[in-house]
Amino acid sequence: MSVEATARPLASVAPRRDAAPRRRLEVVAEPERRRRPRLVYGIVAVLGAFLIGAAQMCLSILTTQTSYEISSLTQQQRQLTWDRQILADDLAGLSSPQYLAANAAALGMVIDESPSFVRLSDGALLGAGQAASWISTIDPYNRGSVANSLVAETPLVTEPDATIVAPPAPETPADLTGGVSNTPPPITEGLPTPSTH
Amino acid sequence: MTTTSTRSPRRRTVVALAVVLAILGAFLVRLVDIQVVNADEHVSDSMDKAFGASQTLYGTRGSIVDETGQTLAGSILLYDCQLDPLLITQIDAQVVAGESTATPWSTISAEVAEITGQSVEDVQKIVGDALAVNPQSRYAVLAKAVKTEQSRALADLGVPYLHCIAHPARTYPDGAVAGNVVGFVGSDGEPLEGLELAQNRCLAATDGSLAYQQGKDGVTIPGTEREVPAVDGGTLQLTINRDLNWYLQQLIAEQVQDMGALSGGILVVETATGKIRAAAEYPTVDPNDFASTAEGDLGSRIFRATFEPGSTFKALTAATVIDAGGQTPTSTVVASGRENFANGARVNDAFNHPAYTYTLAGVLMDSSNAGISRFSEKVDPQTRYDYLTRFGIGQGTSSGAYGEEAGMLHPADSWGDQMIYNTSYGQGLTTTMPELAGAYAALANDGLRMPLSLVESCTAADGTEVTPDLPDPVQVVSPQTATSTREMLENVFIQGALAKTLNVQGYRVGGKTGTGEKTDGAGGYKSGVYYTTMVGMAPIEDPEYVVVVTLDEPTKVRSSAANATAFQKAMTQVLKTYRVMPTDTAPTLLPKFG
Repeated sequence: MSVEATARPLASVAPRRDAAPRRRLEVVAEPERRRRPRLVYGIVAVLGAFLIGAAQMCLSILTTQTSYEISSLTQQQRQLTWDRQILADDLAGLSSPQYLAANAAALGMVIDESPSFVRLSDGALLGAGQAASWISTIDPYNRGSVANSLVAETPLVTEPDATIVAPPAPETPADLTGGVSNTPPPITEGLPTPSTH
Repeated sequence: MTTTSTRSPRRRTVVALAVVLAILGAFLVRLVDIQVVNADEHVSDSMDKAFGASQTLYGTRGSIVDETGQTLAGSILLYDCQLDPLLITQIDAQVVAGESTATPWSTISAEVAEITGQSVEDVQKIVGDALAVNPQSRYAVLAKAVKTEQSRALADLGVPYLHCIAHPARTYPDGAVAGNVVGFVGSDGEPLEGLELAQNRCLAATDGSLAYQQGKDGVTIPGTEREVPAVDGGTLQLTINRDLNWYLQQLIAEQVQDMGALSGGILVVETATGKIRAAAEYPTVDPNDFASTAEGDLGSRIFRATFEPGSTFKALTAATVIDAGGQTPTSTVVASGRENFANGARVNDAFNHPAYTYTLAGVLMDSSNAGISRFSEKVDPQTRYDYLTRFGIGQGTSSGAYGEEAGMLHPADSWGDQMIYNTSYGQGLTTTMPELAGAYAALANDGLRMPLSLVESCTAADGTEVTPDLPDPVQVVSPQTATSTREMLENVFIQGALAKTLNVQGYRVGGKTGTGEKTDGAGGYKSGVYYTTMVGMAPIEDPEYVVVVTLDEPTKVRSSAANATAFQKAMTQVLKTYRVMPTDTAPTLLPKFG
């Protein structure tokens, strides 16, 4: 509505003759000022480029540096792997039951027969209920028969003269009698087991 | 308007444009061809050409562990060391000419020999021989299967003509313990025996590869690695208990030596699960050193030997006639030491005796062939055949042991007059130790025969666990029959001649002996030598373990009494290992005669 209201009043007024045609004046737009190139942008752009370049170089140097570090660590890891392998080779077979048993038997330990159990609820003794036998049910020291080539040559910890396959030769007792014959009875039934209960 | 003068330059422009477009088009086509159509090929070409170095990534072969996780077979690295004979001569020539300050081969060879344990002459001979064959030789094997320590010592010599290459190898920390079932792997990494071979699909690793570019100083250029990772093999867990197995191996070795037998074996089965807890035998193989083992000892006799079982089958016949023939342990027959049957067959006992009125229990106690033959008439042969089959005789087992054999049980309709009776006391048919153990485990497990197994599981590198597929359990006889048969088996032990030897203090044990005749390979039986067996179970009131002890041709004691001490010790150790509680109940004594 307001548009029509402003447009109408002129039409209703009688035309008036002007003495002279009015010169039409209009505001000329201010001539565009010549833009000065923004130096700042340029500097920013160039700096940015340099920064990116520098950062990339830094990263690249760091990566290269790291790769040397990795290389030296890899070398170290390899050395440690070798060490581990060497140690594992040294230990191979030492945990085997025949080696353990031969060591224990060399100390005079025996494998006893039936076990006995104490029932905690009433203190009852179940099973054989006897003292341990002095004779081992098997003889892993003098008659070691379960082969293990990994420790076949390894001396026993408890008896350095023996291995799992070969018990030490029986010791000849020192001649204390000064030439008088005092030889002990010959061993006929295998070697005596040291009894160190 | 168009004159020749104006047309000519225009045409030239068009032609030039066309030519330019054509060339551009050609480039475009080629570009697409290179970048899109054949891109993969070119990329892989460039990779192959650009990546100078590549190496095989060896996967580790899976380990074999026992019931408790102890390693029975593991993987290590060994090294093959080689020499460059031509380079040695060249360096020595320079040293002689005074152009080089390197240490001469004569000195180095002594150091090498000291490290590898060879003699200096041998080391120098290796180079000399290689040069004699080919003066330009650049390759001679110094030593194979060198350990890490030696190979590092060799590398530390810093000589350019000596090089060691690592390769995965196998080690068996416990040596011969369960070596018979574990088997072994050849020096080339190929499995040759036992579960190493049978379970290779579980254990084998898949090799991978690593390709990369190297700088001049040997540093890998970042971002150039391409790795196809190796896949390690799975871990194979067995049902075997290695400590028990070791004890039984030492035990059977001593027994074989004491009895002057050819070989012997002990098999332990857990009755409720059918799991084989020990399979010990002597002589056997040390997988670390299988090359020095006799050919016949490389495999497992326990799983491969078939034999005529003899009297141990009387218990199976007894269970059959109780289950299907309405008999009881106190039912009686009349049998003499030399019994003639209606069909013309004749059965002798091991000892001479007049006509006794034997109970079924008494027949087992005296191990009377004639008596059990009389009892076997209570059911027809086909029924006995069916029962034997259900006991697993002649069927093989599901143990999974490599090369396992099955016994031989002829169909009932082919049994002749004599064989009808022979089969009732374990002659005229063959079985194996696992079959026998499985049958007794059924009697021990209230008549339910569990499938035997040797493999617990296979755990792949990614953690997935696979257990072997086993057949369904078989209800062979009723629980009542199994109980009656066990009562008789206990009486066999406590009322027999070996009662004192077989006594396991604190426990009630039952079982049966067997003295099987051996074929001489010419249709007859060997004279005076037997395959002796003792099979038993404990605690008899609710048996948890079945133990079978066999000796092949014992000579010091020729009957199954030869097995008694080993059986008693084996059973004691089994009960001790698994903490089976002693009993405070008393056995029921059954009458021998009716």
